[in-house]
Amino acid sequence: MHVSRRWLARHCAFLQNIDAAELARELSLSTCEVEGVQRFAPALSDVTIGFVAERAPHPDSDHLSLTKVDVGSGELLQIVCGAPNVAQGQKVAVATIGTTLPGDFKIKKSKIRGVESQGMICSERELGLGDEHNGIWVLPSDAQVGKRVAEALDLVDWVLEIDNKSLTHRPDLWGHRGIARELAAIYGKTLEPLASALPAQGNAKPYAVRVESEKCSRYLALPIDGVKTGRSPEWMRHLLLAVGQRPIELLVDLSNFVMLDLGQPNHLFDRARLRGEPIVVRQARAAERMQTLDGVERNLVTTDLLICAGENPVALAGVMGGEQSKVGAETRELLLEVASFDPACVRRTSSRLGLRTDASARFEKNLSPTLALEATGHLVNLLRELQPEIKLPAPLTDAGKWKDPARKISLRTDVVRRRLGVNVEQLSDAKIVEILQRLELRCEGRDGVLTVDIPSIRATKDLTIEQDLVEEVGRIFRYGNVPEARLEGSLAPPPPDAKRVLVRKLEDRLAGVGRFRQTLSYSFVADASLAKLGLSELPHSSVINPVAEGLTRIRRGVAPSLLAPLEPNRRHSKDVRLFEIGKGYSPDGANEPREVHELALVIAREPSAANAKFDDNAFAFLRGAVDDVCFALRLEAPTYTKLARVDGAPYLHPGKTLAVRIGEREIGWLAALDPRVERELGLAGELKSDVALATLSLDALVATPTREKIYRSLPRFPGVKIDVALALPTGVAAEDVRVALERAGKGLARDIELFDVYTGPNAGPGRKSLAYHVYLESDERTLTDQDSQKFLQRVEREATTLGGELRKA
Amino acid sequence: MTETLESLFEPIRLRIAAAESDDDLRRIERETLDKGGAVAALLAGIPTLPPTERPLTGKRANELKGAIQAGLAEAKERLALRAVERERLGEGFDATLPGARPTRGGLHPLVAVTRELEDLFTSMGYVVLDGPEIESDENNFQLLNIPPDHPARDAQDTFRCDADGKFVLRTHTSPGQVRALKERVVPAIRAGTFAPPFRAIVPGKVFRQETTDASHEHTFHQMEGLVVGKDISVGHLIGAMKTLLRGVFGREIEVRLRPGYFPFVEPGFELDARCPFCKEGCSVCKRSTWIELLPCGLVHPNVLRNCGVDPEVWSGFAFGLGLSRLVMLRYGIDDVRLLLSGDLRFLEQF
Repeated sequence: MHVSRRWLARHCAFLQNIDAAELARELSLSTCEVEGVQRFAPALSDVTIGFVAERAPHPDSDHLSLTKVDVGSGELLQIVCGAPNVAQGQKVAVATIGTTLPGDFKIKKSKIRGVESQGMICSERELGLGDEHNGIWVLPSDAQVGKRVAEALDLVDWVLEIDNKSLTHRPDLWGHRGIARELAAIYGKTLEPLASALPAQGNAKPYAVRVESEKCSRYLALPIDGVKTGRSPEWMRHLLLAVGQRPIELLVDLSNFVMLDLGQPNHLFDRARLRGEPIVVRQARAAERMQTLDGVERNLVTTDLLICAGENPVALAGVMGGEQSKVGAETRELLLEVASFDPACVRRTSSRLGLRTDASARFEKNLSPTLALEATGHLVNLLRELQPEIKLPAPLTDAGKWKDPARKISLRTDVVRRRLGVNVEQLSDAKIVEILQRLELRCEGRDGVLTVDIPSIRATKDLTIEQDLVEEVGRIFRYGNVPEARLEGSLAPPPPDAKRVLVRKLEDRLAGVGRFRQTLSYSFVADASLAKLGLSELPHSSVINPVAEGLTRIRRGVAPSLLAPLEPNRRHSKDVRLFEIGKGYSPDGANEPREVHELALVIAREPSAANAKFDDNAFAFLRGAVDDVCFALRLEAPTYTKLARVDGAPYLHPGKTLAVRIGEREIGWLAALDPRVERELGLAGELKSDVALATLSLDALVATPTREKIYRSLPRFPGVKIDVALALPTGVAAEDVRVALERAGKGLARDIELFDVYTGPNAGPGRKSLAYHVYLESDERTLTDQDSQKFLQRVEREATTLGGELRKA
Repeated sequence: MTETLESLFEPIRLRIAAAESDDDLRRIERETLDKGGAVAALLAGIPTLPPTERPLTGKRANELKGAIQAGLAEAKERLALRAVERERLGEGFDATLPGARPTRGGLHPLVAVTRELEDLFTSMGYVVLDGPEIESDENNFQLLNIPPDHPARDAQDTFRCDADGKFVLRTHTSPGQVRALKERVVPAIRAGTFAPPFRAIVPGKVFRQETTDASHEHTFHQMEGLVVGKDISVGHLIGAMKTLLRGVFGREIEVRLRPGYFPFVEPGFELDARCPFCKEGCSVCKRSTWIELLPCGLVHPNVLRNCGVDPEVWSGFAFGLGLSRLVMLRYGIDDVRLLLSGDLRFLEQF
């Protein structure tokens, strides 16, 4: 909302002399957010009042004029002017050479059709005064030649831009008088009285109004006769322009002016075009239609509130008037409507139709029904000042079951101090009373308990409970005067938070030892991504009003979020290692969606060379990383078993998917990416990648018991290190070999490390070779060559059992 | 035996002295001590000698062998010392050669900053709580004193999950207040174990239905704070916020409270911090020298009551810190969309 200082000064003259930036600051600290301060039409201070001394046709043009203009400089300026209305004897606004007009338009000496022009005679639009561009702006004949326009015509004004959101709870601040009232309270001044008493009315039959819906609590209708249409007075035009409203025509401007002045929307019907009496206020009927005054045909629903003349809808209550009965140039008889509508009803209609108007914005804040009467009187009085001959043929109709919302709230001064955190020296009872009175909140009481009268305009919304008054006192007292205080309480440590500790350990381990980059992703997954991953058919939680088409669904798990950025990242990086700790959701009928909280990891790297070591690939690295985090979390070593599929993850390699378990508890899965999906994700050609991914459930990890590390005495007897190589059928699993070696060790095998897997041609068809470092150690004696020999004999037997043999070194 | 040990050893000694490498020494060893070498030749000649000369010659041979071995050992040590001395010269060392390039992992900047704040707050006895991203309309709005058709819902640009309006993507971390009150404070009060002031923070992801650009995101991160106790005041709120800023910026930062409207606090404030980056106004503070940092206020009595806490007995304050914005301020990030992009070129900078 834009607020003009000059306009504010109509309600509190004192404000005219306060610097606009200071007004903005004061309002910010006590009332609402001021987003900016602008000078109104700054060009007006740069242009000079001139007198058209001569006018002649341009020698070389049939529509241009050649003028000689006196700007008080002692010599006449020759100015070429294209406006049809320029005439000798006019006072005009002249932009002399060097002046810059809005739009960064700099006036230079120029030649127009061969004739030199030393400036420009300006139209209103050229000066930033609205749209008027039918010709030059003709100033009053008493304007003083040579003076700057703004100062001479008293048009200096400043505009405060107030953040509407900060006024959501203050229906009383949606007009200049409300803001002026706040500033008066801040500065300890009083507001000028408002002439809102309705002049005497004739005794014709009052206009009939029937309110059928409780969504209209008050409907005031007043016929006004003998009005004339035309241009609004300059002062009104300038105030409207200052706050960004385009002046149109007196009646429309007046209606707007009163709304922006008092915050009460109102409507003027052309009475001659209202076909049908009485005015009926009712809910719309199903499939009913009406044309609003912006010319659009609107489909209505039964929650919309209509103003009808007889049967015909003539306005969409609180939102917009109708096309058919709007005032026009020939309007002579008015029906003034000032009403109070239900905020929720107006809000629903305006948001449904996407029709947010100045009126609907105000009604939805919940205006006091008392304001309607005040605005009626104010409008009539303003109109009478301009057109004293208007007549009010009939008494005001006041329909609807309205109630004055004014109330009393009891306020304990001690509560004010306790909530603010100040003592009685800082904020005495007397000071509290004084602040309340500055805010026009009359109060009385003793022993620290005040009864505060809440005036109607403040009572509909923001002042309903005691704590609201704490704010009233606090904001005028100023929060900057409240001293900083420390919390005091017991020093008991907060309860342990296992999941947070777990998350931290995972993050530190993965970002450190694991060399993974942590990422955070959107919870939305694009339909296109879901399709690539084969997830389209799965039920997802979703939003019904997405920011973009195809971006409605919420991820069920974290892993899909890590797959989308692989392709762009692989363009810059040979080895992409990402992890994310986050949440996923799946729908559960009408219940709260089921939440998973998990860790997802992905490695995508250049495929390794054909002769790379068996553990030089994404899958092995990732499995190592999973082992390592379990170690870091002090869990038992995980075990891995092959899975045919993971529910909800069809993008995994059908043959390379493992369940990860600790003991009996399944904690997640580890898999290669399905090669088909790799292609879908663009990981082909130069970006062909070796991709492995894993997901671990945080809830499962938290629930898994940890083991304290127990120290084992250092070996007292030297052990022996033996390398063994086994030639085996390709189908034999490494784990079976490890178990066989352990068995062969008869409890002495302290460590068994696979260091080579060979499947090349030298292994023979259907054969492979596995090579191990085995470390044997005893707690009781030094091991000898004989122990090694016996071990190798047993290994030989085990190898045979596995269908292979021990290869001799 | 006419030859003395000296005359026998002298040529070998000279060879040893001239040796330049372990290989040279091995060659000398081979040629003198192995089969066909000088010592062997001496021993081989013994049977042809008259018996009286034989013992002396044998002795000579052994002496010679000993002298050669000692000479070789000494030479080996000499060569080793010389090699060490050569190494110590550090020839060809390029002091400018780069180190091996480490592969690094790292935390997301949002997480790094959140952890700093968590540490700061937990050190003051706050607990860190969590809440779901898909939240009920009741927790996100109604219990927070935002009934249906309340105009404050406009400002929230809510993603709705169903036509009935039962679930939404949480538009702020403030439902964390509701959950903290219902799940922590109320049970503790009932059980008689409540040890005020209750202090909690709730970091998390929040959502707004708005068009994205460099400074607007539909998904971002916030951190809610809640303190509930006896006579918790605006003064306590100011104290907590100054402590927060001292923690974040490492020095005293001036703050100011302005009235701000949020239905779940009363009075409600916008907290501005004196711009930490300038003295006279800069682009960060839009030339105002103040940065609008966070909304806060005293918990609205209706919120306390809605959650089962008696506002006549208890009061509290709450604040909502924009984590995404704080991270952008901290690191000078000019495009909020980078935070959730998963772009390694961004992530690797932290």
